[in-house]
Amino acid sequence: MTEAVQGTNDDAQVSKLSCVQRGYFQDRFLQYFVRKATRRAPLINRGYFTRFSALQQLIQRFLTVPGQLQIISLGAGYDTTWFRLMEQGSAPAHCFEVDFPEVTQRKAAIIGAQPELKRVLESSGSISGHSGKGHLHTARYSLLPGDLRDVQQVQAALLEAGLQPGQPTLVLAECVLVYMQPAESAALVRQLGSLLTTAACLVYEQIRPDDAFGKQMLLNLERRGCPLLGLHATPSLQAHEQRLTANGWSRATATDLDTVYRHHIDPAEKRRIERLEIFDEFEEWHLIQEHYCITIGINDATGILADYGFAQFSTSQVNPPIM
Amino acid sequence: MSDLDRWIEQLKRCEALKESEVKELCERALDILVEESNVQRVDAPITICGDIHGQFYDLMELFKVGGDCPQTNYLFMGDFVDRGFYSVETFLLLLALKVRYPDRITLIRGNHESRQITQVYGFYDECLRKYGSANVWRYCTDIFDYLSLSALIDQRMFCVHGGLSPTVKSLNEIRVIDRKQEVPHDGAMCDLLWSDPEDIEGWGLSPRGAGYLFGGDICTQFNQDNKVEVVARAHQLVMEGYKWMFGQQLVTVWSAPNYCYRCGNVAAILELDGALNKNFKVFEAAPQDARGIPTKTAAPDYFL
Repeated sequence: MTEAVQGTNDDAQVSKLSCVQRGYFQDRFLQYFVRKATRRAPLINRGYFTRFSALQQLIQRFLTVPGQLQIISLGAGYDTTWFRLMEQGSAPAHCFEVDFPEVTQRKAAIIGAQPELKRVLESSGSISGHSGKGHLHTARYSLLPGDLRDVQQVQAALLEAGLQPGQPTLVLAECVLVYMQPAESAALVRQLGSLLTTAACLVYEQIRPDDAFGKQMLLNLERRGCPLLGLHATPSLQAHEQRLTANGWSRATATDLDTVYRHHIDPAEKRRIERLEIFDEFEEWHLIQEHYCITIGINDATGILADYGFAQFSTSQVNPPIM
Repeated sequence: MSDLDRWIEQLKRCEALKESEVKELCERALDILVEESNVQRVDAPITICGDIHGQFYDLMELFKVGGDCPQTNYLFMGDFVDRGFYSVETFLLLLALKVRYPDRITLIRGNHESRQITQVYGFYDECLRKYGSANVWRYCTDIFDYLSLSALIDQRMFCVHGGLSPTVKSLNEIRVIDRKQEVPHDGAMCDLLWSDPEDIEGWGLSPRGAGYLFGGDICTQFNQDNKVEVVARAHQLVMEGYKWMFGQQLVTVWSAPNYCYRCGNVAAILELDGALNKNFKVFEAAPQDARGIPTKTAAPDYFL
């Protein structure tokens, strides 16, 4: 896969750091993974905030499930979730991050070079693996080089690193599957769906390629060298749900991010972040948020994930008349 | 060829002026703008335009579709700067045309013609990048304070960037505003630049944190009280370029096609003939090869 697709990882980290620097959320590990901090537009900050808090909410919820919990992060890039969870003392029994060797090599090098990161890693057990090959391993953390299109190799690497398919597992795929051919992403989803008996799968990615905004989004990302190869196969919420339910996941719910922001983010948090910056891009805000969704897939052999999903917040008070 | 004509030619090629030239242009513009009313009277025929937002090459498309100034009379309803890559060239061209043809082009103030907003949405950074100092930004934002707040076409059509204000019942209340200041955070002047029409009754809080939402009943009352037929405004992206509301008592005109190089929308201008017959002209973004192709790093942002 192209350098441009791997470059989306750097871009995402820059945007997340922009959020951190403006106070949208906290992440003191992110700075180590960004070479040059850039201020993003309020719309981008608010969108990354929505994604971050929605996924954090679902991760925290998962971490309340009983069992030897595991997280598999597909195309994890420089994601710092595990480091934050370790710091909070709420990390799962094991976290597995998979990405291209070029990416995991750089991540391993950064972790090795930054005392703060290294300290967290060391606190999770003795370190083995081959950092130069982008492979790090402790009792609670595995950084695994691999190509997600090779599902057998991915599964073998996970099992070798200690994945226990019978234990509750959270699978994360943020803007990952959409860069793969539909058959490839379906195969990956199917492999994990049939392997994991108690699991939630969280997929964050683009939808609605067929309206004016969607067409322009496809065009712009293609020009950037990272075409959304999978988008036409999963153009709608329903198609996202079906991708999971047709491939080994017993149920799935997809929600667009405009709806997530309206109904599933803590109103107190919204009030806080809405005061951080002047925001004058409402039409575009709704447009771009409607073009992203989070799909939650569930396999629930024992019923412990029966009510797993977003929190519901009342939205009665939005624009009360004032005169 | 006068300096002014030379500047216009240069700006039409999307080449910015020297800092000293910007200073001089702004000084000359001030002499003209300071004389204008807060409700500037203009005559039809005229072509009404909405937000441009620094999309210079799309402004060139607009002139292709609507005709050149001064052959066509223009009213631009604000938001010349921010978001696009060429706020400097866009605003200076419109300002130079204003100085050269003061009776042929009218510029009113949008909520982005403000010191505070331009520091967040790009114009300030663009000035720093292109001139190495904030001087040009300062000259321009100082002239923003002199832009009129609204226009009245043949006593029949009221034009404003955002919308109505609960503290403004009559146009006379606009006329007495002391506009020569940064856009305030509340009050009539702020509302005119920030408010939005909405399918509600009465007034509502705006999610923008400035201005208000106003319903069709408010618009009807305003139009009756002031004996105008239509409120024309900009301020909100509409994917089809224009949008009627409240039984054709209000129209939104949006003139930035493919807004932010990301939204995929078409743009529109509203042509009024001498009898105020309306003709919308819809246009698309300038073709990619006609514009300075944004480099990869300047490509529009998404969540990746």
